[in-house]
Amino acid sequence: MRANEVKGREEHPFLRLCERVMEREINRRDFLKTGAILGGSALLVSHLPYFYRSLSPAYADSPSTSSFLYDLQLPQNQIYTTCLACHANCSVKAKVLEGVVVKLDGSPYSPMNILKPLTYSAKPQQVARFDAPLCPKGQAAIQSLYDPYRIRKVLKRAGPRGSGKFITIPFEQAIREIVEGGYLFKDIGENRYIAGFREVLALRDPKVAKTLADDVKLIQQGKMTVQEFQQKHRENLSYLIDPNHPDFGPKNNQFVFMAGRIEHGRIEFSKRFVNGSAGSINWFEHTTICEQSHHIAYDRVSAAWEDGKFGKGKTHMKPDVQEAEFIIWFGTGAYEANFGVNPLSRRTSEGYASGRLKMVVVDPRMSKTASKAIKWIPIRPGTDAAFALGMIRWIFENQRYDENFLKNANSAAASQNGESSYTDATFLVRWEDNHSIKYVRASEIGLGQPQERLGKDGKPYLFDPFVVMRMGSPTPVDPLDKTHPVTGELFVDTTLQGIRIKSVLQVVKEEAFQHTIEEWAEICGISADDIRSVAKEFTSHGKKAVVEFYRGPVQHTNGFLTALVLIYLNLLIGNIDWAGGLSAGGGHWHEIGDKSGQPFPVDSLHPGKLIPFGIPLTREGVFYEKSSLFSGYPARRIWFPFSKNVYQEVIPSAYENYPYPIKILWNHMGTPAYSTPAGTEFIRMLQDTEKFPLIISTDIVVGDTTLYADYIFPDTHYLEEWGTLHLTPLITLKCSPIRQPVAYPVPEIVQVNGEEMPCSMEAVMIAIAHMLGLSGFGEGGFSPEFPLKRPEDYYLKLMANLAYGDGPGEELPDADEEEMELFVRARKHLPPAVFHPEKWQKAVGEKLWRKVVFLLNRGGRFEDASKAYSGEKLEHKFGKLLRFFIEEVSSAKNSITGHPFPPIGTYQPISHSDGSPVSYPDYPFLLISYKDVFSTQSRTVNNYWTQLNFKPENFVEIHTSDAVHLGLHDGDMVRVISPVNEKGQVDLHNGQIMDLLVRVKVSEGIRPGVVAISHHYGHWAYGASDILIDGKLIKGDPRRKTGISPNPLMLRDKKIPHTCLADPIGGSASFYDTPVKLLKG
Amino acid sequence: MPVIKEDDLERMQRDLERALKKPIKQRSWVMLIDTRKCSGCRSCVVACISENALPPGVNYRRVSEVENGTYPEVAKVFMPFNCYHCDDPPCAKAAPKGAIQKRPDGIVILDYSRFSSREEVKKVIDSCPYGAISEDTLHFWSEGTPERAPYDGKKPSYEYGKKTLGRARVPRKCHFCVHRVDQGMLPACVVNCICGATLFGDIQDPDSLVSELMAKNITYQKDEGLPTHPRVYYLAESFDVETNLKACALCHTGTEVKPYERK
Repeated sequence: MRANEVKGREEHPFLRLCERVMEREINRRDFLKTGAILGGSALLVSHLPYFYRSLSPAYADSPSTSSFLYDLQLPQNQIYTTCLACHANCSVKAKVLEGVVVKLDGSPYSPMNILKPLTYSAKPQQVARFDAPLCPKGQAAIQSLYDPYRIRKVLKRAGPRGSGKFITIPFEQAIREIVEGGYLFKDIGENRYIAGFREVLALRDPKVAKTLADDVKLIQQGKMTVQEFQQKHRENLSYLIDPNHPDFGPKNNQFVFMAGRIEHGRIEFSKRFVNGSAGSINWFEHTTICEQSHHIAYDRVSAAWEDGKFGKGKTHMKPDVQEAEFIIWFGTGAYEANFGVNPLSRRTSEGYASGRLKMVVVDPRMSKTASKAIKWIPIRPGTDAAFALGMIRWIFENQRYDENFLKNANSAAASQNGESSYTDATFLVRWEDNHSIKYVRASEIGLGQPQERLGKDGKPYLFDPFVVMRMGSPTPVDPLDKTHPVTGELFVDTTLQGIRIKSVLQVVKEEAFQHTIEEWAEICGISADDIRSVAKEFTSHGKKAVVEFYRGPVQHTNGFLTALVLIYLNLLIGNIDWAGGLSAGGGHWHEIGDKSGQPFPVDSLHPGKLIPFGIPLTREGVFYEKSSLFSGYPARRIWFPFSKNVYQEVIPSAYENYPYPIKILWNHMGTPAYSTPAGTEFIRMLQDTEKFPLIISTDIVVGDTTLYADYIFPDTHYLEEWGTLHLTPLITLKCSPIRQPVAYPVPEIVQVNGEEMPCSMEAVMIAIAHMLGLSGFGEGGFSPEFPLKRPEDYYLKLMANLAYGDGPGEELPDADEEEMELFVRARKHLPPAVFHPEKWQKAVGEKLWRKVVFLLNRGGRFEDASKAYSGEKLEHKFGKLLRFFIEEVSSAKNSITGHPFPPIGTYQPISHSDGSPVSYPDYPFLLISYKDVFSTQSRTVNNYWTQLNFKPENFVEIHTSDAVHLGLHDGDMVRVISPVNEKGQVDLHNGQIMDLLVRVKVSEGIRPGVVAISHHYGHWAYGASDILIDGKLIKGDPRRKTGISPNPLMLRDKKIPHTCLADPIGGSASFYDTPVKLLKG
Repeated sequence: MPVIKEDDLERMQRDLERALKKPIKQRSWVMLIDTRKCSGCRSCVVACISENALPPGVNYRRVSEVENGTYPEVAKVFMPFNCYHCDDPPCAKAAPKGAIQKRPDGIVILDYSRFSSREEVKKVIDSCPYGAISEDTLHFWSEGTPERAPYDGKKPSYEYGKKTLGRARVPRKCHFCVHRVDQGMLPACVVNCICGATLFGDIQDPDSLVSELMAKNITYQKDEGLPTHPRVYYLAESFDVETNLKACALCHTGTEVKPYERK
């Protein structure tokens, strides 16, 4: 429906305005209507003059620009949104001309883009001519938006999985087929019945679901037997995957959603569908192939002590690069990858050039950041913890730790001593043997009985204080106590009432003293003097020194324990909450609406919501010992009680039916076969139609993994969709950048329940929910008043929550008339299926609408730059307990070996899941990988300006001495092989084999014995190979097929079939532990 | 108490607006590249391609990357480079009359319509001692894919203040984004330099950021002993100058580079 057809517009001055503006709209639909992928005609671009004589006569003018108007400076040609070239979420000023996105720059409203953002209240008209920086991959995203290989219509497989043969089918037909199931591929000779969503989503009654879920919990707690459960629920057993294992949960769990890249907004939307409407517990994203052990370690260290237990923590902390004087980058840096390159580069370069900031880079590869560092430490991969423990030993030996910080045992003591956060350094632990240690509680040593307290949820709980040693006597401590300061002794090793007792810091110290600094240095293959000098420098800047790491040190089998040790360095100097120290981030306004007074608490506005239950397919967040599958050690596959989103386990677990078989796999914006270590193993599994009866995908192209799907639904590009993003804690200001539709959508416009929208993940979910009458969508999706029939019905409510703020008095101002007009004019090129002013306004109500426009006109909500610091500290502080000792991990067991996990952060050699060392003496080089600054993961091979322009193919980088030894020269072609890939090939199981042949680049900037291969290359789909659609050949672009991916070489676990090595605590997949060999030719 | 410092972009924007209030003859644009800050990300290159709708093979801006030293004392040097907007531009002499002109504010501009033969184009390209000029060979990025992408031809060029979709086999080079500068906007490579290494401003204005930085720091130029008088300066720590110049020389093989001496 067009704006000028809207009824009742007389009542709304705003709508009259829309009508006025939209009447002037030129229909720009032509240029994106069809594409080659559909078998339609190519884009209509202007026919260009190919000879200089046909130039526009304007060139004959005199060289003056005075009468010229530069369109891109006009605010009506600009929309602010948020980048998704990587996950950092820099703000973007997108410039749109005649419906085409022509230029992406950074937004000056966000501290992600410039040091000091412009005043938030500045009108978009005022800042229209002020552009801010955006990194190369961000700017090149125009080329992924307009990738000639983007799909417009739903593709259905027309040959075996991976054959690359598809037909286009109407959206409605595709939805009907995946919902109803049946003999869907009979016409291509697959005579098998496929269960659709209707059958798989068996359990729909929220009351039944809740009683089943409650009793499964009782089974897990040992309070109910399976027999009792079966007896009690005999009428509902048919809803379960396996009545003999009620803890597998309902059949709904056989629908599995795995997302590669998914961000806030879409996370919540898809969880609403998968968890709340479809009732499946199996919603996953890709985090373990990214940096999960880093996240889990920070999360455990900072876990909130609340109601007598440790809850959620902060998964990410970062240096305040703005004020820091010294940063040690472990396996990461400021100028490539990390989180994110835009803000890190700007602050780091400023600090480096002004002389404020000194840096050390610990990395086997000399990164761009190492080029600016005072020292590059080319460490042996996987040994970062040994380096850090050497530093810790030196710090203890020389008493360079911050005693004033570490002695504080509660909030009151911290305040008294000028700190805001505090640690468990002085807490006492029972040391019976060197594992399964526990905090000493007051009642255990006769310091009174546990006290009953009232929890946040109003329920009483027992609080048994922790204990510290104070002037020789054990003293109870309540960490949250803000009025009675308690400090403790740092080093305690004694016996109390027959119990051997140590302080936590004592345990850390003993760990560091396991080896001499020389021995630690020996493990990491560097000199002991480097450890000493770095430790000295690190402890010479007060609070303004920080240890920073991300993915490098933790994507190893020892990831979590390494991460803990690295965090210890920050804790030892007490840099948290200080300017130039460790920042927990400025945080964000809450889009979900769970803060007091917020207009749309979307999670609870879900009548008939299902509570999903059961063991996740990846066995994450649950203890093996508490499951009905427990049968001693080893377990068949690893259980991950402390991790989540264990991406590398989704496909092999389903393939192994462990813990249970699945029926529908939805792969959203992800490419597990390409991005996961040893992921090419998945190809063979995904072709098994017994184990994976139905695979659906949402993707913008036929990707390297979606190639193996049964149905591919076109998805929106980030310039066509919504999001509510959260920023890296590097940003010390409170910020809520948003993503909103900028471009006329490339995917076809589909109709669902009378509403038009671009084909996308959201459209598929809305359509499935509509066809099945699932809760939380459609008429009454939120409440009788508010339907959820199109994406904006959901996302604009999140925007309204942000515009309202986190509490009364935080509302944004109303957009004025001028801004309201600008808002509409800037969107005149969008079709009503996207921009429908009346429906947009209706989604949030008239009262909030102008506030929402104020927010959308600025691409989000950003705190004023004056709020960064308060005195010498950060304004936004963590301000709570931080732990060296992770009690819950220490008291759990490794599900494969049955051994308890180590009690404290430590160095562990790289190993298989059974603890056996990774040792392949015939393979002389250790393979590492990295990301180029102009590329992201799997998604930038369509960036002709950048990836294929700056580096048309990737290399294997090798040290000069190694190259000489092997007789290799720059540019020589080699085949890379590994113990699990002795042929140096990738079998695509469609008749094609890819050779892992790559050119050599000889460099001084890499540790001898290590070779590096960058990511982003070695694609076999994503436009790299020919595919057949509706019988027409779509030729691949050979430029996209160059180079190799390091992932197909990576080690698989010895004991656990079909999977890479992994960290059993943090869940991270191992990327840097594979030995390889280079063969000439 | 620490505060978030103003971004150089904001300062340069004010400098630019102040300069534009003066008559064109009293403005003198220079580019200052702080190599200490550059990380070789090539955001500037992409900004330039995207802003000026550059086709493959036409490079207004390049960044060379050179590894220096031996393990483990090794580092990379990054050297951005574009047309130096020489005060005595050899290209202007090599070009057909009036095809390449020097504006009073220092920007060297081209008039594409004045070129009528391949020989003229080639002569101009060869005349630049720095290799700053390339020929438009009329290629597109999305050649060889199923369809011509909108960024290949749908996006107009605003070069020299003329909105056009036209392309021709002409010499092309950096013009300091004169279409932006004249309208009060900084060049695309300057605003998109994520490291804040590329600076632009009026050297005749003693209060401009570029004037201030040039007065305080060591700067040098690549003038090769030619009387070209470039308008692009490099800023470096004294101990870096030698390696930077080496990097320069590696990129421009066979040419010699001398530190700039301030007059």
